[in-house]
Amino acid sequence: MAKEAANNLVETSDYIGHHLVNLTFGWCEKTSSWGFAHHQQDLSKSLDSACDVSEMGFWAFHMDTIFMSVFLGVLVFGFFGLINRSAKKGTPGKLQNFVEFVHEFIGSAVSSGYHGTSKIVAPLAFASCLWILSWNLMDLLPVEMANFFGQAGSGINYFKILPTADLNAPLALAAVVMVLVTYFSINTHGLGGFLKELFIVPLGPLEFISFVSKHVALALRLYGNLFAGEMIFILIAIMFGQFFMSFSQTLWFLPGLIMNLAWALFHILIVALQAYIFMMLTIAYLNLASTKH
Amino acid sequence: MNINATFFAELIAFCIFVFITYRYIWPSMASVLEERRKEIDEGLQAASESKRQLEEAKEESSRVIDAAKSEASTLINQAGSRADQLIDEAKDQATEEVKKIKETAESDIAQSTNRAKETLKEELSVLVVAGASKILNKEIDESANKEIVDQLIKEL
Repeated sequence: MAKEAANNLVETSDYIGHHLVNLTFGWCEKTSSWGFAHHQQDLSKSLDSACDVSEMGFWAFHMDTIFMSVFLGVLVFGFFGLINRSAKKGTPGKLQNFVEFVHEFIGSAVSSGYHGTSKIVAPLAFASCLWILSWNLMDLLPVEMANFFGQAGSGINYFKILPTADLNAPLALAAVVMVLVTYFSINTHGLGGFLKELFIVPLGPLEFISFVSKHVALALRLYGNLFAGEMIFILIAIMFGQFFMSFSQTLWFLPGLIMNLAWALFHILIVALQAYIFMMLTIAYLNLASTKH
Repeated sequence: MNINATFFAELIAFCIFVFITYRYIWPSMASVLEERRKEIDEGLQAASESKRQLEEAKEESSRVIDAAKSEASTLINQAGSRADQLIDEAKDQATEEVKKIKETAESDIAQSTNRAKETLKEELSVLVVAGASKILNKEIDESANKEIVDQLIKEL
C-alpha cells in the first residue's frame, strides 16, 4: 500500500515535471553540438543531443514556445491583414465588422490613455494585446492534448502549447515596452533629464529600481497568471486521471469534470483580462514617459 | 525560471509583428474606417440635400397650385362681372330702344292728331265759308276772305 502510494507520488511529480518542460533545442557542452534535449523527440537520431534540458546553458531555444507564438502571430495578424485586404466599400461583412470592432476598441483605449503624438503606440497596443490574447487562449485547450499527439506518433515527446507560461515570451514583450519607454522619456526630457529622473529625483537610486521592476512586473504578472492557471489545469487533470488508475479512485471523475469546467470558465476571464491589462499598462507607461511633469 | 535565448527569438518576432501592424495592418484598418466614415457622411449629406429639394419641390408645387387656383377664381369673377355687365348693357339698350320706339310712336300719334286737326280745321273753314255764303246768298269772294278765315282758323 505504502509502495503504491509512493509510486503514485513519483508518477504524479513526473507528470507535472513532464508538463513543465519545454521542447528545447540548444548547445550541448559535452558534445559541442546543437541538438534537442535528450529524449525529447524521436524524429531524428542526429538531432538528439546527449545533454538534458538542465545541462544546456543560455544558448538554448524553446522550440515549442517559438513555434506556437509565431504560428499564432501569423494566424492572427494574417487574419487581420487578409480581412483588411478584402475590405470592400459599402456595407461591411461580419468579419470586417469584427475587425473594425477590435480596431475601435483598441483605438479608443489608446486615445483615452495616451495623449502624445507618436504613431507607434496604437499598433504596439494592438499587436501586444492580440498576440497575448491568442497565446492565452491556448490555455483553454486540454493540457493533455499536445502530449497525446506526441505519444500518438508525431515523434515529439515534450511540447508546451502555451507560450505565455514560458517567461521568455512575456519578458521579450516587456523588454520592447521598456526600450520604447526609455526612448520616449529621452525624447521628452532629454538624456540628462531622463538620467536625473532615473537616479536622483525624488528618491535617488530607488527610482532606477522602480523603473526596472515595473517592466519586469509587467512580464511577471502575465507569466504568473497564466502559469498558475496552467498549473491548476494540470492538477485537475491529475485528479481526473486517477479514474484510469484504480477502481477505488473512480469517485474522482465527477468532481474532476466539474472543477475542470469551472476553472476553464473562470479562466476565460483571466485569459482576456491579462491581455487587456498588459495593453493598458503599456499605454499608461508610454503616456507617462511622454508627458512633461 | 529558465531564461535563455528564446528571449531573443521572441523579441525579434514581437518587433516584426509590431512593425507589420505599424506599417500595414493599422493604417489600412484606419483608412478603411475613414473611407466608410466619409461615405456615410456623404450619404447623409445627400439624403438631407434631397430632403431639402423635396421640400422645395413641394413648396413650389403648392405655390403653383395656389397661383392657378387664384387665377381661376379671378377668371371666374371676371367672367361673372363681364356677364353682369353684358346683361346690364343689354338691359340699358333695350330700355333705350323701348324709349325710342315709344317716343317715335308718341310723335307719330301727335303728328297724326295735328294733321287730323289741320284737316278738320280746313274742312271746317270750307264748311264755314260755304255755310256763310249760303246764309248771305252771295258769293263771297273766297280769295278775298281767305285771309280772314285763315286767321280765324289759326285762332281756333
